[in-house]
Amino acid sequence: MTASRNGAFGKRNGHSHMLGPIQRVEYEMAQYSESDAVDYCIVGVGAAGGVLLQRLARAGLRVVGFDAGPFWDTERDWVSDEAGSHNLYWEDLRITGGPDPLALGANNSGKGVGGGSVHWAAFTPRLHPSDFRVYSEDGVAVDWPISYDDLKPYYELLELEMPVAGPAYYPWGHPHGYPYGPHPMGATGDVLIKGCTKLGVRVSVGGPVAILSGSHGDRPHCIYRGFCIEGCKVGAKASTLITHVPDALKNGAEIRDNSMVARIHIGKDRRVTGVTYFDDGGREHFQKAKAVIVSGYAIETPRLLLNSACPGFEAGLANSSDTVGRYLMAQAGNVVLGRFDELMRMYKAPPAHAMTEEFYETDPKRGFARGFAIQTVGPLPISFAKQMMVAKGAWGWGMRRVMMDYNHWAAIALLGEILPWPENRVQLAEEKDRFGIPVAKVSFTLHDNDKKIIEFGKNKVMEVMWAAGANEVVQEARYAHLVGAARMGHDPRTSVVDGYGRTHDISNLFVCDGSVLPTQGSANPGLTIQALAARTADYLISQGDSIFTSSQRNMERPPVRHNLSPPGTSGRGVPRLK
Amino acid sequence: MRRQEIKTDHLLRDPRTGEAIPPKAQPGYYPGFSTLAQKQFWDKKTRQVVLDRVENIPPIRFFTPAEAALLQAICDRVLPQDDRDEAHRIPLVNYIDARLFSGRIDGYRYEDMPPDREAHRLGLAAIDELSRSAHGLGFLEISCRQQEEILKSLHDGKPAAAHDVWKRMPVLRYWMLLLQDCVEAYYAHPWSWDEIGFGGPAYPRGYMRLERGEPEPWEVEEQRYEWDAPAESFSDIYELISGIDEHKATPGQGGTH
Repeated sequence: MTASRNGAFGKRNGHSHMLGPIQRVEYEMAQYSESDAVDYCIVGVGAAGGVLLQRLARAGLRVVGFDAGPFWDTERDWVSDEAGSHNLYWEDLRITGGPDPLALGANNSGKGVGGGSVHWAAFTPRLHPSDFRVYSEDGVAVDWPISYDDLKPYYELLELEMPVAGPAYYPWGHPHGYPYGPHPMGATGDVLIKGCTKLGVRVSVGGPVAILSGSHGDRPHCIYRGFCIEGCKVGAKASTLITHVPDALKNGAEIRDNSMVARIHIGKDRRVTGVTYFDDGGREHFQKAKAVIVSGYAIETPRLLLNSACPGFEAGLANSSDTVGRYLMAQAGNVVLGRFDELMRMYKAPPAHAMTEEFYETDPKRGFARGFAIQTVGPLPISFAKQMMVAKGAWGWGMRRVMMDYNHWAAIALLGEILPWPENRVQLAEEKDRFGIPVAKVSFTLHDNDKKIIEFGKNKVMEVMWAAGANEVVQEARYAHLVGAARMGHDPRTSVVDGYGRTHDISNLFVCDGSVLPTQGSANPGLTIQALAARTADYLISQGDSIFTSSQRNMERPPVRHNLSPPGTSGRGVPRLK
Repeated sequence: MRRQEIKTDHLLRDPRTGEAIPPKAQPGYYPGFSTLAQKQFWDKKTRQVVLDRVENIPPIRFFTPAEAALLQAICDRVLPQDDRDEAHRIPLVNYIDARLFSGRIDGYRYEDMPPDREAHRLGLAAIDELSRSAHGLGFLEISCRQQEEILKSLHDGKPAAAHDVWKRMPVLRYWMLLLQDCVEAYYAHPWSWDEIGFGGPAYPRGYMRLERGEPEPWEVEEQRYEWDAPAESFSDIYELISGIDEHKATPGQGGTH
């Protein structure tokens, strides 16, 4: 069946494959045989999968990445248009419910090579040191099995590899500086600065965002067109599609796009033997592998583990703790909209370009644990109209009127920490997808601490908007981001994977994506996900063949490999402050 | 004198004079602004997608003719276009039909909702039943004001009839679905971008003037005018969707962060 593989890629069909307007893929991709066991199958080539694929390939391992969506040619496939970008998002059916259901549509998960990193807004704050110790410090949730110091070198590597633009001094958490200069302000950034300054709140201006403020190799700088979450056709916003996948392919990785992994197989020795997947034509394949890494993100990862239930693993793979699918998290993402007498035109500039973490840490005076960030957003007309449905109850002539005033509005948003709860979970639904695989069913409930953060946070964001000079302020409740549902931990009874992403139950099965996060802080998760992937890659490379042959679990910390960065990224734009 | 006989109840009014404002090719505060006039500066794929939206209006393939007519009457109140002349109305029903025909969904379904296709069919039947139960006439035959009253009862979560439908489908979720489909169709159309002064596609040229709401050289300065909703309409009054916790009311779009 090899001929049917690699549908959208590369030199075939007589055209170069474009990743941005300048970067071309003009070389042949490796093609591994399905019957010959590859070293690693990576399920999902997104934020984590792209980094893993690149590093493992660069270290000489034989890796195949699967993605349910296409291998984008950005010039051919992407548009500068809100309604025309639906295909970037995971829009296949999921069922959502519970008392406070998550809306799972649009840009909370991706489909296609690059995954969510294709349509993220690209804010890249690090987690704070306190995020790794929330149980010890605040008595809530759970501590991570790793510390900030374990992840710090990988934050530094990824901030160069993306690379990140931002201020020379970022004051919160562990203070640090960014390698590329901050971006110019747009209307929402000006509003955030003005409001915060009036209230004596510090603001980070022009980042941190994984968007180029200056040209970088074969990637042009940002042109401030505002269509970040529609996929950056400019090539300025980082996605693993353009930052890591090209180097992965050059180093012998194979990507099978439009390939939906349906099941992970277990052999007689209770070890993983490979994956079953469906190609775009619905044909079933089996790829043999010495180890499997699931990088499908917070919904599809638990779905695949649960759907892979088999004799000996009746409750799903790696689920002896009954934790797979549990502790799913979203962040509170209330959008606060302010109308100004003067014009804003907030569609210009990246939605993400200024933020504050002044309210991030626990403040006992507020009566709840943990905190929130405030960030710019820049809704385009359709998103703005939907926000107005809720924020003002607009419909009819009221909708037409407020939309005629679109250019007078600015939007900033809460990013609040919601804690992990066992009943917030992903299960399997009755419904099946087009391959006959049960789809995910998600249930979500807000708890007391979450509600207090939302209430306090949204009022604070509204206060900032008023202080900026708005003459009308409204808000819309919503969520942002998804993480958790296959969390890491020391204890196999209460977590799915260890601190390197290896499942407690199956020694050659790994999870590496946003689903391993035990807590989420108030930071956008993209950078942390990629940093964790780089760390897991270092671990796997250090362990060598023992991953494939042994059930011993060596927890020794691997050396940080600085030589695995994509060429031309390491050492560029050195931050002044580390 | 004959002019006064023309029914103008459905037209916008100038609040100073009380006079009807005649329908325009392009309502809004940016007269002369045209995103499509910039199409040579767009990339090929974007140009193709946007022009296709304008020039190749999808035929009705999902709804029956009767359903399409009913949905048209509903869209005329949910997102009225009486201020646009006939030639410049955006065909919302066709785009909603196209989505349902293709089976494209937003990536999820609330567990208490039927699939989108069924939800729309149920909703249409329920709205007509609301009209018949209140007025003894179908939704197409009642006045604009009566139509708005029925839609407002959905907005308020208090429909007076069709309770068997609302048992299968929470009324507010349906209202959100309907509204969402309408605004997605309307504000995807370049004529709506011209109306609201949105710059539209901007690759590969990009924007230069990011601050203080300043226009690009090819954008147009705002020229505001006052207008009141038509005399028979009250849909310009803003009232929050009520009786529901905020996180339960989320329309569930992504699109910010």
